Amino acid sequence: MKPEERPKAAFFDFAGCEGDQLQVANLEEKILDLLNIVELVSFREVMTEHSDDYDVAFIEGSITDSHAEERLKEIRNNADIVVAIGACATIGGINSIRNAQDFEKVQERVYGDEREHYEAWEKAKPAKAVVDVDYEVHGCPIDREEFLHVVQSIVMGREPNIPDYPVCVECKLNENVCAFERDEFCVGPVTRAGCDSCCVNEGTICWGCRGMIDNPNEEAHEEVLEEYGLTAEEVMKKFDLYFTWQKEAREDE
Amino acid sequence: MKVIKKEDLENFVDELIANNEKEVVGVKSKDSKYVFDKLENAEELELDYDVTILPPKKYFMPQRETLVEYETREGIEMEAVNEVVPRIIIGIHPYDLEAIKQMDKVFADSPEDDNYLEKREKSVLIGVNMKQISEWSFAGSMGTATIEDGYDLMLTDLGDRYAVEIGTSKGRELLERESLEMRDAEPEEVEEVENIEENIQNGFEKELDFSPQNLPWLLAENYGDEDFWEENAEDCYSCGTCNIVCPTCYCFDVQDFSDISLEEGERMRQWDGCMLEAFAEVAGGENFREERAERYRHRYMRKGRYLYNRFGDIACVGCGRCSSQCVPDIADPTDIFNKLWSDKDE
Amino acid sequence: MNKKDSPYLPENATILSVEKMAEREKLFEIELDSGEQLGHDPGQFVEVSVPGVGEAPISISSSPTKEGNSFELCIRKVGNVTNVIHNLKEGDKIGIRGPYGEGFPVEELRGHDVIFIAGGLGIAPLRSLINYSLDNREEFEDIKILYGCRKPCELLYEDEVEEWRDMNNIDYRETVDECPDDVCWEGNVGVITTLIPGIDIDLDNSYTVVCGPPIMYRFVLQELKEKKVPDERIYLSLERRMKCGVGKCGHCQINGEKEELYVCQDGPVFNYDNIKDFEEAL
Repeated sequence: MKPEERPKAAFFDFAGCEGDQLQVANLEEKILDLLNIVELVSFREVMTEHSDDYDVAFIEGSITDSHAEERLKEIRNNADIVVAIGACATIGGINSIRNAQDFEKVQERVYGDEREHYEAWEKAKPAKAVVDVDYEVHGCPIDREEFLHVVQSIVMGREPNIPDYPVCVECKLNENVCAFERDEFCVGPVTRAGCDSCCVNEGTICWGCRGMIDNPNEEAHEEVLEEYGLTAEEVMKKFDLYFTWQKEAREDE
Repeated sequence: MKVIKKEDLENFVDELIANNEKEVVGVKSKDSKYVFDKLENAEELELDYDVTILPPKKYFMPQRETLVEYETREGIEMEAVNEVVPRIIIGIHPYDLEAIKQMDKVFADSPEDDNYLEKREKSVLIGVNMKQISEWSFAGSMGTATIEDGYDLMLTDLGDRYAVEIGTSKGRELLERESLEMRDAEPEEVEEVENIEENIQNGFEKELDFSPQNLPWLLAENYGDEDFWEENAEDCYSCGTCNIVCPTCYCFDVQDFSDISLEEGERMRQWDGCMLEAFAEVAGGENFREERAERYRHRYMRKGRYLYNRFGDIACVGCGRCSSQCVPDIADPTDIFNKLWSDKDE
Repeated sequence: MNKKDSPYLPENATILSVEKMAEREKLFEIELDSGEQLGHDPGQFVEVSVPGVGEAPISISSSPTKEGNSFELCIRKVGNVTNVIHNLKEGDKIGIRGPYGEGFPVEELRGHDVIFIAGGLGIAPLRSLINYSLDNREEFEDIKILYGCRKPCELLYEDEVEEWRDMNNIDYRETVDECPDDVCWEGNVGVITTLIPGIDIDLDNSYTVVCGPPIMYRFVLQELKEKKVPDERIYLSLERRMKCGVGKCGHCQINGEKEELYVCQDGPVFNYDNIKDFEEAL
């Protein structure tokens, strides 16, 4: 690819930990390969320059107030392609835990007496709740290889392979002992695969960071978790870590 | 029939590993379960296992496999790829041997799939009669609790010895080693093996209430009973677990993965499952099995009728993997088939 | 491994020309780099391969009677692979596997009246047979072509359609579902089924060949039933997501109570009588 043909790419962060951009920065030597196919014009984790002339905008973090909303809309106007990266930007992420909680208490916990000085939405939203998003790189944090795959796909003009089936598929392909057979519980059966079941491969469980698949059987899973001895409250907690925004959005449909 | 002392078998396996001609894989424990995996030494071998998480099919049709490599620097260069690792696979239960026989037919059907057939050809299959029976297995009902052929060698545990049945010349050649201490079986030992095989038949907790030969018509008759399929599929996650762990599921998806240069890459196939929502979707979005119940029914139809029509085998070998690994516990073939059988006169 | 051994290895081919036919459809003329003819029957399909993107099953749109070694594919921009194919131009390379499947039963149709009913992109596979029968006009009795699409601008093969309109040895009729006020359209306005009552069908001597989207099949078949056309005198071509094209991957299997069919091997062309009991077929 000729250097002048490379699309210009910029990173933007909203409410989040910047862990996804860190994943990109941690590509290390592969960053150089990445630079063969995109031109980075703004990425504060690795460079000081900044430009508002970009084709592809990577959005990290959730949208939690009107300033963020305006800024994101401006980015959308500037960019040909908007890519949400990481759970906060794709599904509201950890930030959306508060969506199911009492907002005043949330404000008090975060800002204490100063709370009236800070504008914040009652609910944290993913980027797609505010603007049109073209591609999503799921996960908390994102998977580096999948990020590269999505960038490659954009450059090639093809659709990336982002599974819409549960983590169970990859977990079984990897021949893991199912968490349920280890007397543990996980949300893998309703969570989007694509992570190669990395958490379960390491002997833990799936927490659902890639969000629910498009058509999860969440009712069945709630029932099953209760049958396995979880209380209704514990079941809700399993689903609240990453799924709060998605669940509400599904109920609103 | 031959007989070999257990310690001599261990030495023999260690020798095969050290010999390095073929990769030696066998059943090993993984947490509380078992898997087929590469053996570092004979001690790792667990020949009294109940069932493995995945069937040994993975050695002939790997979970992910490159079919074609491409390069697009100047025009297009494409090359067929088949990574064949010759293997000795130790400890295959009869139901899995039956499944391999069925898969051999599928992939030998025209046009032949050499990616499977070559790996299969370069493998030596050492079976073992079941010592422990999974509580989910119903191989006894499917006629797959013991097997007459399909193995190169077949072992039966006789306490301090193994009886060794030689199935093929490939198996016999493997045994042709000067160091191997082996003798002909005595008449009592032959009888003992017969008794063991007979007892295995009676060791199953789960069973079909009828002969599996009835499955093709029974399923055809109940194909249109939508209420039945909907009711049973209600808790289905469409997670594909029952497909992925099945020794006779062979559907696959094909995708291209380029490297970062965008100028070369691989076309890979990966196991797919008819329970997954997008399986029967076409470009443009139309989905010919959109409902969970339709996909759920499809799996049973395929196991009990469709593949029978095509290849002449009931494509369920009764291993019980699908039911034991289904989180909502709705994938037990004996449950569904027996319900259909008992409802048939209503 | 010998290259010939893998049914999954495409042959190299070159795009000879690209013609934009409508907003979403382009016609690609393709030749195998081996210089050999594709050797297909009308109604068969190929797997078109763009390395790095994947493969898509596409019906062959040209007749085997077409001059020269090339063949034609009419490709709608509708998915991952087809989107990328639309960006390709003359001289670009692609991969081809096939031809695959069972095409139209040319031998059986010979000597009979043939009624072609095409909806939208359904004209693409049907054109391979239409042109075959026009090139061998004396081998067939009456030929009727009913062609419908949503709007006049979606009409494909405009040049050929223009010829069909003027041909006096065939009966060509066309319709659009709707016509914007500012567009000149002399044909019928209404869905394709509205053309069926107006044609005479010699029930003993004719075959009807239908191709279009699933929803169209349902209505057209209903209308043909009203006309008392026997089911076994109807042929149609089905679309499925054929990943391998060789009966292995399982994606194109359709189920019925009694049987199952693999669209890639048993089809894509089926006699309606053989699939009418298949709940998942249409």
